[in-house]
Amino acid sequence: MVLELQKPRPVWQIMFSTHHTDVALLYTVTGLSFLFMAGVLAMIIRTHLFFPGQGVLISDSATFNRIFTVHGLTMLFLFALPVANGIGNYLVPIMVRYKDMAYPKLNAVAFWMNPVGGALLWLGFADVSWVSYAPYSIIRAPGPAADMFIFGMKILGISSILSSINFIVTIIKCKHPDLSLRRVPLFAWSMLTVSLMTIIAMPTYAAALIMMLTDRLGVSGFFNPFAGGDPIAYLHLFWFTFHPEVYIFLLPAIGMMYEIIPRFSRKPLFSQASGVFAFVMLGIIGFASWGHHMYSTGMDFTTKTVFMIGTLAAVPASGMHVFNFLATMWGGRIRFAAPMKFAVGGIALFFSAGAGGVLNSAMPLDFISHGTYWVVGHMHLFLTGTIAFGFVAMIYYIFPFITGRMYSEKWANVHFIAMLWGTVQVFFTQHLLGLEGMPRRIYDYPADFTSWTQLNQIATVGAWILGAGFVVFLAQLIYYSAKGKPANMEDPFGLGGKYYYPVEAKNPHHHTGY
Amino acid sequence: MSHSEHPDTIYRTSPRRLGKLLAIILGVMVAGGIIFFTHYDFWNSYLPTAGKLQEQQMEQAASQAAGGPSSTQGTFSGKETHVALKFVESPDFKNYGFNAPVGSSGANPEIHANVGDKIDFDVTNGGKSFHAFAVTASTSGPGPAIDGTTIGTADSPMKPGESGSVSFIPASAGEYYYICAVPGHRELGMEGKIEVSGPGGAHPAAVNMAGTGGTVAPNGNKIAFTLSFVISPDFSKYGFNAPIGSPGANPDIKVHSGDTVTIHLSNPSKSFHAFGVVTDPANPSSIVWDSAFKTADSPMKPGESGDVTFVAGTPGLYHYICTVPGHADLGMNGNFIVEK
Amino acid sequence: MGHDTAEWVFVGVVIAVLLYVGVDSWVVQKEVEDIPADAETVQVTGQQWFWSFQHADGTKEVSTLHLKVGHAYKFEITSRDVMHSFNIPDWVVFEDAVPGHINHAWFAPDTVGTYPIQCREYCGLLHYNMRGSLVVEADTKS
Repeated sequence: MVLELQKPRPVWQIMFSTHHTDVALLYTVTGLSFLFMAGVLAMIIRTHLFFPGQGVLISDSATFNRIFTVHGLTMLFLFALPVANGIGNYLVPIMVRYKDMAYPKLNAVAFWMNPVGGALLWLGFADVSWVSYAPYSIIRAPGPAADMFIFGMKILGISSILSSINFIVTIIKCKHPDLSLRRVPLFAWSMLTVSLMTIIAMPTYAAALIMMLTDRLGVSGFFNPFAGGDPIAYLHLFWFTFHPEVYIFLLPAIGMMYEIIPRFSRKPLFSQASGVFAFVMLGIIGFASWGHHMYSTGMDFTTKTVFMIGTLAAVPASGMHVFNFLATMWGGRIRFAAPMKFAVGGIALFFSAGAGGVLNSAMPLDFISHGTYWVVGHMHLFLTGTIAFGFVAMIYYIFPFITGRMYSEKWANVHFIAMLWGTVQVFFTQHLLGLEGMPRRIYDYPADFTSWTQLNQIATVGAWILGAGFVVFLAQLIYYSAKGKPANMEDPFGLGGKYYYPVEAKNPHHHTGY
Repeated sequence: MSHSEHPDTIYRTSPRRLGKLLAIILGVMVAGGIIFFTHYDFWNSYLPTAGKLQEQQMEQAASQAAGGPSSTQGTFSGKETHVALKFVESPDFKNYGFNAPVGSSGANPEIHANVGDKIDFDVTNGGKSFHAFAVTASTSGPGPAIDGTTIGTADSPMKPGESGSVSFIPASAGEYYYICAVPGHRELGMEGKIEVSGPGGAHPAAVNMAGTGGTVAPNGNKIAFTLSFVISPDFSKYGFNAPIGSPGANPDIKVHSGDTVTIHLSNPSKSFHAFGVVTDPANPSSIVWDSAFKTADSPMKPGESGDVTFVAGTPGLYHYICTVPGHADLGMNGNFIVEK
Repeated sequence: MGHDTAEWVFVGVVIAVLLYVGVDSWVVQKEVEDIPADAETVQVTGQQWFWSFQHADGTKEVSTLHLKVGHAYKFEITSRDVMHSFNIPDWVVFEDAVPGHINHAWFAPDTVGTYPIQCREYCGLLHYNMRGSLVVEADTKS
């Protein structure tokens, strides 16, 4: 696939290129490959949990534990972050009107660390669960899988930090002199916020990984209670990184929706300022709430209260984004092409995920939901419902620009219905499962809990529908990139105007950015 | 995002290029899969160092709590018996057991043997859960297991349908247990008793009441025994008449209350020893009835011999030991049974 | 009334809802954490993969816990190896079992019956089977 150049280039030249569009393509394609690999694992898990009883599909619990670990790690670190990086790599230099990323070679190096880290994670196939709590990961998780996990995550973490440095320098230092930071498009703002959060949060986890490794080797006792350490210390270090990290996963998808919704509403963005404010506020407040993952570890009342306040304080920022989108759509001439459908579906699911999250943040209610399928449903509504929807919307949007061909709107409709229905059916049902008390990460559940069986079966059918939607998506991408109708490069979506870069604002008091 | 304004539209993608891309991706996945599955057992194979250290800590704590039972097997000198055992669980998973859930008939059969007998266990996992087999001397908890008697471990257990065999030769008399070594399963019912009596047949549990050491008047009977202090060539096993674990070691002495007992003692070993009948073999100063011959401070030298005569007192189970500290633990400890 | 006002109203409503959630949580949690003085202590030890209990009078139980209706019980929860979470879902008893720490939870069952106990923190191979039973019995002596 050739981008922006006149002649087709050999595949190996694209693979080792440092140009931002090529690196973007590499990130996106490997990210989508890992999406499908982890998706297969998810289908295996859900199908196995259709019936209670051991050996339904997975022969033993050790294998099950390894499958859900690798599913989680892959989706988060080998799909969500890389695809966000990929779209960011492609668009951010264009948005700041620069010729490439600030450090093109570093960009390519950061990309190539992804397949290496991914190979370590997949070959080891550890059973630590993606959070790899101490002391299990130190005194019980067998090697070499758990050690490969540590090295793989280390490499992926460094890759994250390097690409974050790249984005920060590109956006702040390399932007066009006539472009003020306030008017940089919101997707670039989301990448900037996310990159700043990464370089503050990620080194903590890198440190925790090294400490975990030396603990496993028996030479230190940071988190090993049998060597004088404290497992709760690991939880603090882990969640200090990974609570901001969940916002890091989320914000690029919101930024992508900011690209799509004003365009497809054929109306300027409601408020650039509140979008910027909401991103920055979330980026800062996101660091104040990590303890809400640890309410049950024996924290005292005051500490729990502080973290609850920190959690609730971040919610208005997300609300501002939702309001921004709705106000932009209000009164617009909406063109409901596939990107718009997925973006709007994503907003609706984002809202419901956030609403469920408010229950988790309330201290006493968290004791009902923590460690159950409620959390699984809640987090997947964010991950699948918002992030995957946002990414899919963006991929459909740039599809004609990258390939020169148009996808099939009819099949995109099938994909949309399957994905929306499937997401709602699996993850809303899992909220109910959580209220029934079903814990997470369990290989099997007692057969005499009939409500669990019924809800699991409903959730599994939903998962199959969701999976079918993704199969349609994959087939679309492959088939129509080779055989699709040539796209009208001036206006692939038939918006009937100059709605692509740059967009003129009708109302001079509203800054739309570029 | 500018678009090309070249007059001939060059399509950015074509089936050939797409095919190459998919070939690379799928090729990498297949290669990775081959590497993964051909070494499937390797990736999750060993416990980390910290885990091994913690297991050692737990085992030491457990064996200290159990009073340091003998963790090694004895030498085969008796008869061989086969025992077939099956791990089973009750349908509601609340009761476990060998051959039948605990509480049902046929569960956890009791095994009787003598020191030096070999018990061959053929163990199958007939349940739905994971189990591991071990023979232990401790009365609670999942271990420590006696060397060589384990099939599977808690971390690498026997899956349903798996089976294995081990042999157990008890080194000393007492109560042993065959258990499931997965934590919790013993408490749920997977525990059976192995009663091991000393060579010579006297069932130690038959006289299981420890003697109090009270004196009685002599009844006129006179009885004599000959004992020699013996040490194995590698100095690891001590005993009376033979090193512990060998045939003829530490013979049971049975007398009646009131008998006048004479012990002819000789020390053909290379070390110093002393003799006494005690109530508690772990306490060399609990000597009863003036039965001491020499003491730890003034012991029998190699080659020395001598006699001691005393009147056996109130009925019960006593022990005759070498009263030099540590020698009783090394094996110089036999049953001295006083019957009515 | 420009459309910026609508945004302020929206954010205001969101903040009001969150304030309500926060204050109500604070009040409820304070009540929940207020352990009654006459609560009888039950020591709970989690280990791979079962629960064991010790009552205040020294009796030990494994996997099945017998308690009396109408009494308050305080759990002192710890672990012997890795992290577990002691959970009686029907009575919303939930606290992590961390080796090296003792965590507290309390409840006062007011209905007789048998209730499941489960582990709610991933602890390895048989985490899914780390189940027990709570039997709440009538108080036969006063």
